[in-house]
Amino acid sequence: MKTILVIDDAATVRMYHRHILESAGYSVDEAINGIEALEKALVKNYDLFIVDINMPKLDGYGFLRQLRSQDIEQAPAIMVSTESAKNDEILAYNAGANLYLIKPTKPDELLRYSRLLLGESI
Amino acid sequence: MAIEYKKSLAVFTEFVGVEEAENLLQWLLKNPKGKINLATCEHIHAANLQVLMAIKPLVAAWPADEDLQRWLAVLEK
Amino acid sequence: MNALLEQFLSESRDFLQGIGEKLMQLESDPESIPLMTELFRFVHTLKGNSGLFDFPEMTRVLHASEDLMDAVRHGRVSYSQDLTDQLLDAMDFVGILMDEIETTGRIGNSHATNSVELTKSLRELLAAASTESEAHAATPHGISDIDHPSVDQVLEEFAAVEVDFANDTTASFGEPAFELNEVVAMALYRHATGGARVFWVEYIPEPECFFKGEDPFYLSRQVPAVLWHQSLLQKDIPSLAEMDVYSSQLVFQLLTIATQEELDDIFRYVPDQIQRIEIPALAFVVPFGSEHDDTIDDEFITRTVGFINDGNLERASHSIRTMLELSAPELWSSSLLRWAQLIIELEPDNALIQCALINQLRTHEPLDLVALTQDISSKSASVDSHLPNADLPHEHDEHEAINSEASHTDATLMASFYTVLTAQKNVLSVPASPWLAGRMKSVATTLIATYRATHQVDEIEHIEHALQQALADNTSQPLLAWIDKVLDSAPELSDIQEAAPIEMPIEQSTQEVSVATEEVILDPSSKFGRRVEDTSPHFGRRAEDTTTVVSKTLKVDQEKIDRLMNLIGEMVVAKNALPYLANRAETVFGVRDLSREIKAQYAVINRVAEEMQDTIMQVRMMPVSFIFQRFPRMVRDISRKLGKEVELVLEGESTEADKNIIEALSDPLIHIVRNSLDHGLESPEVRVAAGKNATGKLLIRATQESDRVLIEIIDDGRGINPNVIKQKAYEKGLIDESALERLSDEEAVNLVFAAGFSTADVISDLSGRGVGMDVVRSAVERINGTVGIESEVGKGTRLYLSLPLSMAVTNVMIIESNEQIFGVPMDMVVETVRVPRVQLSSIKQKQTTVLRGRIVPLLSLNELLALPQEQVPNEDDEFATLVVRVHGEHVGIVVDDFRETVDIILKPMSGILGGLGGFSGAALLGDGSVLMVLNPRELI
Repeated sequence: MKTILVIDDAATVRMYHRHILESAGYSVDEAINGIEALEKALVKNYDLFIVDINMPKLDGYGFLRQLRSQDIEQAPAIMVSTESAKNDEILAYNAGANLYLIKPTKPDELLRYSRLLLGESI
Repeated sequence: MAIEYKKSLAVFTEFVGVEEAENLLQWLLKNPKGKINLATCEHIHAANLQVLMAIKPLVAAWPADEDLQRWLAVLEK
Repeated sequence: MNALLEQFLSESRDFLQGIGEKLMQLESDPESIPLMTELFRFVHTLKGNSGLFDFPEMTRVLHASEDLMDAVRHGRVSYSQDLTDQLLDAMDFVGILMDEIETTGRIGNSHATNSVELTKSLRELLAAASTESEAHAATPHGISDIDHPSVDQVLEEFAAVEVDFANDTTASFGEPAFELNEVVAMALYRHATGGARVFWVEYIPEPECFFKGEDPFYLSRQVPAVLWHQSLLQKDIPSLAEMDVYSSQLVFQLLTIATQEELDDIFRYVPDQIQRIEIPALAFVVPFGSEHDDTIDDEFITRTVGFINDGNLERASHSIRTMLELSAPELWSSSLLRWAQLIIELEPDNALIQCALINQLRTHEPLDLVALTQDISSKSASVDSHLPNADLPHEHDEHEAINSEASHTDATLMASFYTVLTAQKNVLSVPASPWLAGRMKSVATTLIATYRATHQVDEIEHIEHALQQALADNTSQPLLAWIDKVLDSAPELSDIQEAAPIEMPIEQSTQEVSVATEEVILDPSSKFGRRVEDTSPHFGRRAEDTTTVVSKTLKVDQEKIDRLMNLIGEMVVAKNALPYLANRAETVFGVRDLSREIKAQYAVINRVAEEMQDTIMQVRMMPVSFIFQRFPRMVRDISRKLGKEVELVLEGESTEADKNIIEALSDPLIHIVRNSLDHGLESPEVRVAAGKNATGKLLIRATQESDRVLIEIIDDGRGINPNVIKQKAYEKGLIDESALERLSDEEAVNLVFAAGFSTADVISDLSGRGVGMDVVRSAVERINGTVGIESEVGKGTRLYLSLPLSMAVTNVMIIESNEQIFGVPMDMVVETVRVPRVQLSSIKQKQTTVLRGRIVPLLSLNELLALPQEQVPNEDDEFATLVVRVHGEHVGIVVDDFRETVDIILKPMSGILGGLGGFSGAALLGDGSVLMVLNPRELI
């Protein structure tokens, strides 16, 4: 089973994503900030990351930068943000995201992109 | 006076306030064939709009103000 | 309420509390960057969460707060007391909204005005303080950037729609209803698909509005970016002669692309008189023109639908254009074809709608396109009839509906596919960084996954090759070149599809989506119109799909829990009848085996009953933070009012107790805290003079000790002088002269709990309004709690409350006296001893004995109950003595004998018996007899 790490400091958002992804048959882990996410990524293989930007301790950019520069995991990462600021999108790609979605993501949208990035037959 | 009453014509000018509504109604009731001239009118208070919508007098001249004209198109019938 | 909303509410409350705390910390440390960052993050997250739901009143205020905090964080606005006050107000407001959502599931209209006002004052703060950037902060972005076609152009085409006395317009809001012409409708559709939100606004001024100096017509004219409007009179207008010109009968309706903020701002004084509903783009897709005499042949319909289903939009568009050239433009069918063309242009992915629309040429049935997209699958049966059938060159006719659905999904999928590809291109195009290699690897992983997902496995090899080359040269060029090559050939969508026919686990995948939407009911895409929530989109839901995910949290009415608890309580009592029954079976009927079986059954029932009891207790548990969370704000407000500086520390907020206990605790605790602030803690000057820190410390701590919760309120204030207390108590006649000498300091201090005692010389408006700590004590005792106080002059005071975790079931000891049985609550019993007659001694005509070196007064229960009989000792001439703790003192109650302890449901006595002192209630025992439960506190 493919495992997805949802990284967001807001429990509501984590729950929202978890519901959607779990009901599609994925295993979902959660992390509440970049540090926790890195710790999890170091000990477990993930197939996809869904990353919030603004988080305490280590934000989404910081997490991705670490993930990519230390080559911890090559799995795709979707960055989600509440703002549609163009700048954020570029920063996200620079940090190492592979896709940028605007929160709130619609369930079908999130699933569709997740399946694509997981290489799941659609 | 924002409304000037002539024999069978009421001329609206600039801003027609709420206090005109009662007179307007009486004049229109007394002059069923009275026409209205809105050419230089910029705005009429809602109370006047209501009177005009209820009676729908003939419009001799439409407002130059396009926005007002569109809103008052309701009087065409 | 669904789990997500519940999660949102509970998390938001934490955030609100966090924001409150941080704001107060910021007050003492206004320069702290980490604090500001943290504060911003809280507000930001809260706003983000609220965006998952349709709570515009809340989101608006939070958005303004977020902007303000952002400005503070970046130093554009400097910190001020006013700012804290404003933000606290805003958070209070959000808290109120959440309460309302919790109870009613929505936000009432009445809050719209407050929301707008609050937002405005927050924005003003932002605008006033940030001189450099005021323009951008204060004005919402206009609509000037939408240029296709411009509003003015549309208005030129604008034809006011026929207006008459509306048929069914009463003073209540109706469903949006508008008659447009094709040009206006298409313009609206363009705006709506182009990202603008089209709002239907209905404004029904209240009849008295003219007397309030309002001009609803003027107000309506202020709405910007109106694409359609009309004014109506309500039907029930009196005859012209009797018409009341000063009573408004007007109704204004308009369609606008003004922003929600602009609209709310314009109508901010009359929010209850307007209705604002967002209209989805497809609602405007209505063909105009005369319907008869147009016969478009089936062949055209079948062919065009076929093109669309194959994803060959260009050919579909071409065939439509040709047909249009052949038809008279005013025909209904021509209008429909123009719409089809527009949809192909603006919503190329929406094959379903394109097909459905064209198929209308055959059915001539008006179609609710909005509902169609909202509920594709559940309506698949009806979609079937509208979609092309047998004539289509498909092999599996029975899959028609799914095919069309699939093509719709395929188109969306392809769009997503290219979105991912484009994103990878962007990833590779951003400036190189030390972690470029990692980025490139992730791009390759992403591309491979995407190609695998779309069954284009042949390409994977090329991607891997490109990656190897890119890594070797340390440049993203090879990968970029590969993506560019793919993107260049992108328009040939159909080719890709043909080359790699997408087989369908579609059915499965929609089903999965449906589960998600089922669970996440507050689907963000359903933002359109709260009033139409019953038709809100549930994409991909199938009517026959019965798979549901059971929600993990359940919200239950407290009454039901109470009822359940009562029933369980009765069951606990009822099961106690079984041992009696077993006894009777053996002694009366002489069936020993039956007796043993009953006992075995009893053991099982007993275990289950205990577990049930335990579980229901857990359900009712609630953390003390429920009360604690209001203290930071309260302490801040009161201390500021008193000119004192106080640092509040809360500990053990997660300690839990029964809901009733927690709720009953709230008022006493507030009283205590107020007292501490008012009388306990000194003003900064006094403190400094006494060599203390100017800031006083107030600690509120909750801990659990076995089956009780201990709550302590500790301050480092001036403490309580026992001598002053004694003197006062003496003056008030609460104690006699001898007590002045006898009372220990601790006992003296506890006199503050005596009825009618109040030390405050001046009655302040904060505490000491004639009621004192005795109120606190009786409130705490009512829930079987105890209260005590310790104090050291000049050092501070510690007040503690000890409470039961739960009060549903009381454990009592049964005692015998005068051939009757009584119950005594176990939590009051310190010990049971048998005192030999020789150890009794009389002091001042009172019986006493010495237990563990302590003199304990002895009272006879018969005497307390005014019964003439002497207590009966046992064979060894020992008196059964129950040592109880009453107001901190140990007292021995002499009874005839002890019996077992039982769990009972204590029912307070009512009616005539209610006035009876000395009893806390009665309970039913297993054998059906009534047990009176004593209240030693009142008895002694």
